[in-house]
Amino acid sequence: MKIEILYPEICTLYGDKGNTMYLQKCLPDAEFVTTGLNEKPLFLRENIDMVYMCSMSEKSQELVLDRLMQYKDDIAACMKDGKALFLLVGNSMELLGDYIKREDGTRVTGLGVVPGMYSVRQAPNRFNTLIKAKFNDMTLIGYTSRFAHTYGIPEDMTFCKVEIGQGSNPDTMNEGICKNRVIATYIHGPLLIQNPDFVHYLLERLDAPMKEIPFEAAMRKAYDVKLAEYGKPDLELS
Amino acid sequence: MSSFRFHVALAAAKLSKGLIQLLGRNGTHTPGVIALKICPDFLAQAPKAPLTICVTGTNGKTTCSNLITDVLEKDGRRVVSNRTGSNIVPGCTTNVINSLTFTGKVRVDATVFEVDERASRLILPYVKPDYLVVTGLFRDSLKRNAHPDYIFSVIDTYCPDSAKVILNADELCSSMLKKNSYRVFYGIGKQPDDKTEPYNLIADYQICPNCGEKLKYNYLRYHHIGDVVCPKCGLHSPDKKYLATDIDREKMTITIQEGDKKTVYPLIHTALFNIYNEVTVISALREIGLSADRVKELMGQIHIPDSRHNETTVNGVTVIQALSKGQSAVSSSRTFEYVANEEGRKAILLAMDDLEDRQKSIEFSGWIYDLEYEQFNRDDVVQVICTGPRCYDHKVRCLLAGIPEEKILTNLSEVAAADDVTIDGVDRIYILYDCENYGMSCEMKKKIIKRLEGDK
Repeated sequence: MKIEILYPEICTLYGDKGNTMYLQKCLPDAEFVTTGLNEKPLFLRENIDMVYMCSMSEKSQELVLDRLMQYKDDIAACMKDGKALFLLVGNSMELLGDYIKREDGTRVTGLGVVPGMYSVRQAPNRFNTLIKAKFNDMTLIGYTSRFAHTYGIPEDMTFCKVEIGQGSNPDTMNEGICKNRVIATYIHGPLLIQNPDFVHYLLERLDAPMKEIPFEAAMRKAYDVKLAEYGKPDLELS
Repeated sequence: MSSFRFHVALAAAKLSKGLIQLLGRNGTHTPGVIALKICPDFLAQAPKAPLTICVTGTNGKTTCSNLITDVLEKDGRRVVSNRTGSNIVPGCTTNVINSLTFTGKVRVDATVFEVDERASRLILPYVKPDYLVVTGLFRDSLKRNAHPDYIFSVIDTYCPDSAKVILNADELCSSMLKKNSYRVFYGIGKQPDDKTEPYNLIADYQICPNCGEKLKYNYLRYHHIGDVVCPKCGLHSPDKKYLATDIDREKMTITIQEGDKKTVYPLIHTALFNIYNEVTVISALREIGLSADRVKELMGQIHIPDSRHNETTVNGVTVIQALSKGQSAVSSSRTFEYVANEEGRKAILLAMDDLEDRQKSIEFSGWIYDLEYEQFNRDDVVQVICTGPRCYDHKVRCLLAGIPEEKILTNLSEVAAADDVTIDGVDRIYILYDCENYGMSCEMKKKIIKRLEGDK
């Protein structure tokens, strides 16, 4: 199995690295390839199993888009053919839209993988919220902290339905994208470690199911304790 | 010219401070709140002390501002500083209130502000510092500070161009601040243990901010701290006016070169992050105008604040309280490294969970995946006790770092966990605590000391 980590030199904010650290523990025989900013992504050069990309600063977003725009059509084709599983966390999801609107009203052109989708930045207003959401039959828990909201994601492409917190923008409880083999979510940080059921789901989609994942008992204890805290009266989400 | 409203605000704030102190508290926050309520532009209207120094940055600003204040006081100057108060707008306003008489006249020679880097946009334009000292910019609380690029833009935009800026040449992000201002740089020259490739879990500036090329490190100390050059566009770390050359941890001295002149100063702490703090402080004091000899004399009389690091030895076991800022993976990783490399068998209690979040929210524990728990995966760390509401998350992180499960304990209560720590066969017991958990860590230490006293 081959897993590509895109641009780890600038896309590792907020503990997102926890996901790769944990995947390496789950898949000790897999080859993890890191692709630097000035290299052509591996998934455009050969068939691989998974591509992972995480949060970055707004300046880095523009740098990444600058490098990826030349491959725009190829990226859309790869995401459509479903050979590789894409997991995008944090604001890397915003790259998939038509554009990202800056605070001054100007726009950065996006990859256009999801037509009609766009993001709007609002710095210095930081948007923070805890998230409890339903994905398939599992309950996901997590957190998002960002300067932008994303609009225009078709309903049938929603990743999860938020029960506590906020979706991709303040007007929706729909969060993220899940289409073919592309999963993109604003939930950042150690999404996998915090959600053992989602790890099982992901491994199954990679055709590498495990009966018991590493540290499962400890992870479930942490998950259960945290999930119970979502029941706090007057829970402050940010 | 200050307005009538300003004077009313000042009087009310002064009275409130007196009342708060009668209740046995310091009154470092509320007087500022009251003053701002009455006079929203209080900071802008307040008369300035002859010397105003602001210290900001992700890590080390409390230590540096306290040390600068200590030295200036020992130099015989009247100084006020928000050393025990908040470093956001109300705390800095209270500092201004303390610098004035009841009638609004400046009563001090110098005002030293520790300034929260994110709140600096609401402070620096009004305080108008003569000197802005920046320790460096790293990742910090994601929900408050987002990322270093954002904090850079805040300081760069809002610090007045008139301020003389004292910057860390070894930290690429902050070294690019205020390009149109008077700037001087400090740093620590190449050391024997330096590396040339990033090796920490996080290293935020690996590519050139100008052209995106991979940077080459002439030397790399930790994370992205070091001396860099871009092989493509030539961008490089600035030349250092204050360059630490020789660090002698046995003789406890540090040599700092200024031009052709070298001065040997007393070294006040051996941890590298505190050595950076000391170089920052010495550079600031020299820029302010103290002679090298005078700085040398006074640096020998000061020490790192107790609230950051203190030790007590009972019957051969040393109990150490050391600050390990929650949500701040870089500074805590450096503390972890320092602790791990201390000699002897160690038990470690982690009390870094956020005090506010535990009340009504749930702390986002993602930052612990930027934090180097791997430092504790070694034979002489005999126990790691994860405490607080997120103790089970910390345990998972410990396991991922390879720490054997039998060495890891969990306890939802920090203070109760003091009963769990092994006191047999250990030389050092560390309590690593977040700033807001200092009181809690004192309770933990008290319990452990009691056990040690009763045990032998």
